[in-house]
Order: sequence, then C-alpha cells, then structure tokens
Amino acid sequence: MAQQNGTIDAPIEVSSIPTVVGINFGNSYASIAVITKEGSADCIANEDGERQIACAISFHGEEIYIGSQAKHQLVKNSQNTITGFRNLLGKKFSEIPSDKLTVSAPVIQHPEIPDEPAYKVKVLQAAPSPLPTSVTTTPAASHAPTPRSEPTPAERILTPQEVTTIFLKSLIQSAEDFLGKKVQGAVISIPAWFSDAQKAALEKAAADAGLVVLQLLEEAGAAVVASNSGPQAEALPDDRTQLVVDLGASGLELALLSLRHGIAHSLATISDHTVGGDYIDDKLIKFFAKEFTKKTKMPLTVAPATETQDKRAEAKLRLAVEHTKRTLSASPGAATCSVESLKDGLDFTGTINRLRFDMEMRTIYNHVFKKVQELVEAAGLDLYDIDEVVYIGGSASLPGLDETLAQGLSESVVTPFTAGTVVGGGVGDPTAILARGCALQAKLLASLPENTEEEKDVKEAFASGSKWTEAKVAAKTIGMIFPEENAENPLGGQWIPAILRETALPARRNFRFDVDLGEGEGEKKTAFEVWEVKEGVKTEKVKPPALELEESEEEEEPEEEEEIEVKEKTLEKEALLTSLELIAKQARQEGGRWRTTLEVQFLVGSDGLLKVTAWEVGKSGKGEKATATVSAP
Amino acid sequence: MATVIELPVIPPPLRAGWTAPQPSGKSISPVVERRLLPAGPAYLAHVRRAVHNLTFEEHDKHEEERRRLEALASGENGGTGEEDVDIGDEEEPEDLLSLDPKEWKKQDHYAVLGLSHLRYKATPIHIKVAHRKKVLKHHPDKKAGAIGDSNDDAFFKCIQKAFEVLTNPERRRQFDSVDPYYELLEADVPTASQIKNGRDPAKAFFEQFAPVFERESRFSRKQPVPMLGKYGDSKEVVEGFYDFWYNFDSWRSFEYLDKEINEGSDNRDDKRYTEKKNKSERARRKKEDTARLRQIVDLALGLDPRIKRIKQEEKEAREAKKRGKSGTPNGMSKKQQEEEEKKRKEEEAKKKEEEEKVARAEAKKAKAAAATAAKKARRQQRAAEGNGDA
Repeated sequence: MAQQNGTIDAPIEVSSIPTVVGINFGNSYASIAVITKEGSADCIANEDGERQIACAISFHGEEIYIGSQAKHQLVKNSQNTITGFRNLLGKKFSEIPSDKLTVSAPVIQHPEIPDEPAYKVKVLQAAPSPLPTSVTTTPAASHAPTPRSEPTPAERILTPQEVTTIFLKSLIQSAEDFLGKKVQGAVISIPAWFSDAQKAALEKAAADAGLVVLQLLEEAGAAVVASNSGPQAEALPDDRTQLVVDLGASGLELALLSLRHGIAHSLATISDHTVGGDYIDDKLIKFFAKEFTKKTKMPLTVAPATETQDKRAEAKLRLAVEHTKRTLSASPGAATCSVESLKDGLDFTGTINRLRFDMEMRTIYNHVFKKVQELVEAAGLDLYDIDEVVYIGGSASLPGLDETLAQGLSESVVTPFTAGTVVGGGVGDPTAILARGCALQAKLLASLPENTEEEKDVKEAFASGSKWTEAKVAAKTIGMIFPEENAENPLGGQWIPAILRETALPARRNFRFDVDLGEGEGEKKTAFEVWEVKEGVKTEKVKPPALELEESEEEEEPEEEEEIEVKEKTLEKEALLTSLELIAKQARQEGGRWRTTLEVQFLVGSDGLLKVTAWEVGKSGKGEKATATVSAP
Repeated sequence: MATVIELPVIPPPLRAGWTAPQPSGKSISPVVERRLLPAGPAYLAHVRRAVHNLTFEEHDKHEEERRRLEALASGENGGTGEEDVDIGDEEEPEDLLSLDPKEWKKQDHYAVLGLSHLRYKATPIHIKVAHRKKVLKHHPDKKAGAIGDSNDDAFFKCIQKAFEVLTNPERRRQFDSVDPYYELLEADVPTASQIKNGRDPAKAFFEQFAPVFERESRFSRKQPVPMLGKYGDSKEVVEGFYDFWYNFDSWRSFEYLDKEINEGSDNRDDKRYTEKKNKSERARRKKEDTARLRQIVDLALGLDPRIKRIKQEEKEAREAKKRGKSGTPNGMSKKQQEEEEKKRKEEEAKKKEEEEKVARAEAKKAKAAAATAAKKARRQQRAAEGNGDA
C-alpha cells in the first residue's frame, strides 16, 4: 500500500498532555500547577510573576485587583479589600466569630439573604453610555461627541462565594494564558475539616467561574500524590509513615498518614488555628516595631494596633516582613526589612538574622512540636515511627521549624530539608507541593475512561465520602522469620517484614531474595515461619539507671551525665501463623557457600485471609510452589 | 502491578534440627476499619480491584492490557514522538557534500537530509528530526576549528534549502512530482517482449509491474489506490483495478521545473513571456505524463495474464453449462429449465457487454494513441518551425 506523502492533510496535532490544572486554594495564598511536557507537574507563575498568589481581591474605583496587588491595597484601601474569604465559604453569618479584628473589609450580614455573610465594597460604576445622537436627542448639531458622564459611585454586596468565583476565574485565566489552551478541568485542594456545605459552596463557586472540578482533594491527599511521584519518591521505602505538617498563614494542620505502596490513609489529624504564618508575622512586626521605637523614639504599638496611624504602619510592616521571611528561608544570612515612611514620615530599616528569628519564633516551633507529639500519641504511635516529614505552606519553609522537629524524630527520618528538595522550587518545596499534587491527581482523573457503568463507578470512587474509601487494614505487622543457629536477636532468626500494620487490604507483596543454605553438600533445605509481631518503641533513660528495662539484648554505650532518652524500635512475637519449608533444587555455589534465590508472595484478602506462597527461581525458571493458608479471623 | 521487592538481606542457613512448628491455628489480628485518601494511582488500582471484583492476578492482566492499548494509542497519535523516530544513518558521499547551494534546484533534497530511503513517505516529523540531525553535524560552528576552509558552509546551506522545500507542503509536492530518484526509475518500465519472452510470463508480469504501479500510486488524489494484486484475483477486482487506473486522478505538477523568472529585469514583457512559456511547458509535461501513465496501463492490460485466465474460465463455464444442459435429464421440471435458460441468457448478455467494453476500450486507446501521436507530430513540427523562426 502506498502511503500518502503527508502533504494532503495537515497532520492533526493531538497532544497527549491533558490540559488540566491543580489548584491549591488556601485561605491566604493560592497556587496553580500544570502538567509539563514530561508528564510531571510544575507550579506556574501568574502574570505578576508570582507562584504564590495572595488570596485577596481589592476594588478600587472601576478596577479590580487580585493577588499581591490587592494586598498592597490593604494599606490605603483596606475597607474595599477582601481577604480570608475561603474559610467563610459555605458558612452562615451566625457561625462566623465577629470579634475577630480584621484589617480588610469587614464581614457583614447580607442585606437580602438571611444569615448569609457578605462583604460591602465601594466601587465606581461606569455611567451608562450616552444615547446615540439623533435628530430628536440633539437639538443643536455638534461635531463633538457627547462626553461620557463620570462613573457613579455604587456599593456592591458580595458573598464569599462570589468573591471565590472572581478569584478562581483569575487563576484559571492565568493558567490558560500560560498553557495557551482552555483548561479542561481542575482538582482543588481543601482542608480536611471542610464540611459538606463548604465543599458544596466551593464547587458552586468553581462552576460559576466556568471551571470543571474533577475532585476536591484533601490537602493530605495532594501531599501524598506529590510526595509519591518523581525520582525522589522512588528512593524512599514503599511503606512508610508520613507526617504532614501544614503550617499555613492562618493555621496549623497536622496529619499522620500511613502510606503503604502508594495507598494512604490518615491515622490521626490535628488542626490548630492559634499558630500560623500570621502569628509569625505578628511576632516579626512586634520585633521590628520595637526596633523602630528604639531607633527613632517614636512610639509604635502594633499587633494589635489601635490608632489609625499605627494601623497603617502595621499594614506597611506586614507587607514588608513577607519579603523578610522569604529571604530568611532562602539564605542563612541576615535579612532586611525596610519601610519608607513607616510612621510620621520616618523611614525604617532593620535587619534580623536567622538565629535571632529562630529565637523569636521558638514558642511557635515548640508549639508545633508539642502538637506533633499530641498527634502521634493520638495515633498510638511514637515519634520514632515517623519515616518521612512533608511540609506544606509558606511558613513551613522555615528551616528552624525542621530543626526543632528533627530533634524529636529518629535520625533516619526524611524531610525535604535533609533531602535538599526545598530550595529552588524543588519537589519538596512546601509552597508548591499541594498544587503539584492536585495537578498530578487531575491528570490521573482526566485519563479515566467513562464508557461503562463500572468505569463510572471507579471515577465516582474519587468523590468525597465515597464508599470505596472505606477500607480494612491490617492491625499488626506480618513477616517472615528465618530461624538460625545462635540467633542474636530475641526473634530467633532473620526477620523480614512483609505486610506492615496499617496496610489497606486486600494487599499483596512479592519479595525476592537470596537465601544462604550453608556449606554442606546433600539435600539443601530452607524454611521460614510466618509470625505476627507487635511493634513498639522502647524508650530508655540512660541516667538515672533505667527502671523499666526489659530484657534488652544490647546495652547502649554509657552516656554523659545528662539524662538522655534513647529510643529503639522493638519487635515482639505475637502469634505464629504458619510455616513453609522448601527444598532447594537450583542452588548455586558462591564462595564456598550454597545459595538460592527465593520468591515469596504474601496475599491478604479483604477479610484477612492470608496466603503465603514461596517458590525458588533459578536458571531453569520457577521451581515448585509451596503454599500455606491462614484462615480469616 | 506485580512489583517484586528485591531484598538486600540474605537469611542465614536453617537452624539444625529445625522442624516445622505445629501451626497455632491462629489467624491474623482482626482487621481495622480506616478511611483511605482518595488520591494517587495506587488508590485507583485499589478501587479498580474493588469495583470490578478482581483478584490481583486479574488486575495485573487488565493493567497490562491497558498499558498496551495506551502505548498503541500514543503510538498512533504519535504525540510529538520525535524521540522515537529513527531515521537511521545514511552515507554522505563526497559528491553530496560538495553540492553547490546555488544549484539547489538540482539537488535531491531527500538525499541531502539523509531521507532517501523514505522519500515521499517521510512524515513531517521525519523531516524535522533528520534536519536537526544534519544541522547538528554540519553546522558551520562545528567546523570552525577544523582544518581547511572554515567558512565552508555550502552543504549547510543545502540542508537549509532542502528543509525549506520539504517543510512547505506545496513546494514539497512540487518537488515530489519531479523527484530525480523516481525520474530515473520511470524509464524502467518493462516492455512487452521482456514479459512475453520470460520463462514464466505470468510471474514476470506481476513481479515487474507491481513496483511500477506502486510507484505511480503516490500521485493519486484518491487514496487508497488499488494495487496490481495477484494472479488469482476475481474479475471484479481486476476490472476495478483497470477502471481506477484508466481514470487516474493525479496531483502531479511540474512547477518545479519552471524557468526562473528574472525578477531583476524591469521588462514586464520579458516576464510575461517567461511566465507564458512556463505555463505551456507545465501543461505539456502534464499531458505527457498522463499519456505515459496511460501507456503503462495499456501495456499492463495487454499483458495481464488474469484477463486471459478470466476469459478462459468464462468460456469453460459456458461450455460446461452447455454440456450440462445437453445432458440434463428430461425429468427436470419446466420451471427449472426456464430458470436455467434465463441464467444463460443473462450470462451471455453480460459476456457480450464485456466484450463490447473491451472492444470499446481498445478502440478508445487506439484513438487516443493516434491522437497523441498526431499531436506530438504537430508539436514537433511547430517546435521545429519555432526554432527556425528563432
């Protein structure tokens, strides 16, 4: 068959990259991520060049400002500037605490809809265009067109949902400008505590903005997706316990996740609205205000400020310290904060170095650490069980926080700081991670077919509160013990964990490893027992002499005078489930010892039925299978 | 995802005297209810297993199938697919490298880009990839340090020109129309004697004519083009084939061979004259090309062993029927006889029609040939006169 020479029809450009975006919609900042040509997700900047887009909308005359431009309006035009609207989505007016001091437009009762929060902003409405000139309306013929009348001042009432619509529209516009294509769908992140009414309100706002919402994804879910993609994740163990620290501007969200081969569920969550980026700002502002007073002898009370002048000074400082914070996170040196005409026409320039900053923030760090401890306790685990820490939110980029947390965790814990992925917008960048996770999730959802009833069911499973999210997990760790001569550890042999506790069922794990068969000739046999074990963490206080010492096999080297807690993971045999025996037929000799390669498969059904299969692999393929089954509980 | 976890640990040899312990009869601890985070591909796999009620093995199979289909789909859509395009390496003989960019009209653009094995079959992606490859190799910057004339960017210019021509669909088509590689092959049409004098005329016919038709098929506006086929083809197929080729709708054009219009000259008459000449030249070439193709098809029709076979078969069928009819026992019902009669008549009519058609075609051909010959003669005469005038 002759082929066309390709010139008859222009080739149709079919892009395999779906034009979906991920939106991290926080209370203070939002970010957008798109799918790149390579299939990974990338956080993009809006037209102002910001990756972190401030959730603020300001009305000034006929103009609407969105993002950091709107934030700057907080200084002079605060009554027409709306911030912090996300947390009000879907809430009733009566549910909103009214005593909170706001620097932006106050929340009022909607004049028409009962019990509905709203914002009142002053805008200039464009005057109606003049009537077209005609014989009847223009008695005196004139060449000059009738001048347009001045725009008239008007008041506009906006509900949080309408504000969200305006904001989301601008985000989508930015993404479309970047992609050059229409956005087909988006995944938006939501906090774990969002109620159904709030989700519905957000969905409605997105629909009004002309956006197809593929999923409202919990922030922890987005973090899981983002931290599980890319080469960085491949180096990490497949089964790990992840601590998600979300220190945003307005609050702290902690989640302890059990991540087992990509499937995650939350073991415990804590949310605390007393600490956050704003609180850090307050501290910094107070610090600089003190500096200012020291330098200029000009009294300045901020956070909270009472006088109008002080209020304006606070707003100016608040904008300035944003920059200071970022500089501090990015470089170890000192960071400056300078404000022109802070108060009474006096300029201010101050510096702060990281040490000083960490000192100021010590209370916050300790508070976060305390909360982490609470969280771990609530989950019935120990700090030592955490394998990985993921940070979310601008304030979590502070290296001091990581240092504080790392002191309590085990030494092998992986944080974005130890992995070196925070700097330069790496995969661990706390400000971009949610948007990237959402984008990857959007890509996944966009690729799902919807042809049959079952495929629709699969898609449905991603909706919030789907019945498929209900799953059963293994309560205890199951593993293999290879009994050995003169075993050093109390288990009596080499321990290989197979199904870790908190693994969603059904689960399957395949292992391949070499087994030492000894030196002797003749029949070579290997065997292992399958045990359920209890994992724990043993805390030992080295001084004064430990009181609750169990039969520990190896003693820690003597420590200094101080009382130091030494933690160690322990295993305790709980129940023998079964055992398997295998005659090695394909053994090979390596350095005088016989070895063979074994493959073992663990299969746990959703009811808890355990099936262990082992077989030998060698040059001549798979050997005979040995199977043991343990009935469901 | 039957991912196998490779463990670095090597369990020690079995304890001497170890015997399988009595199974305790215990099961694993009771399972706990949790709420999963609906995120990530692993959750998707989990849900798929749950919704479709699959075991791990079945799910593995499904996943494999899905991946295969996806790979296929992406292969068809191509994506950009530039990474996967392998255009191979072609030799660059000395005379190719020493091409003069000023004489770009005479160069073989496909050969310059190293695509002479693909030619008109090369896709735009092929061309793009080939161009990038050649540019990387022959860019003047690469030769800056080399011995000899460092300003020698002649071949690079040739590459750019070739790329320019081949990426413009219209210009590429013009070039494809007069592709020098196929121009050479065009002369290579088997003659009647070559086929007839062969040891196996039927085989020789298909072997020698198939490439000819395949070559010509690239000019067809209608795609796909019926190919020569094989000996056993049915009558309909053979007829369809000749029908198509007698009504061949070609996009071939000869603008590429136009004489350059002297843009510098102000003389508009000059320009118009050249334009006019080019136009008539194009028309002439096109006509010649049509006649050439027609000749090929005529030749093929004349030599086609299938026509002979079909005729033979029809004849045999007729005779068989005749024989069968004479041998029909009288016990046959009248109705059956009538049907037979009807059938026979129909067939005869068909045959007659066929014959007439062939005759008509023959006559037409002869006429066309005569006309062409006459025209050619006239033209030659005119040309001669024209030369004489000039």
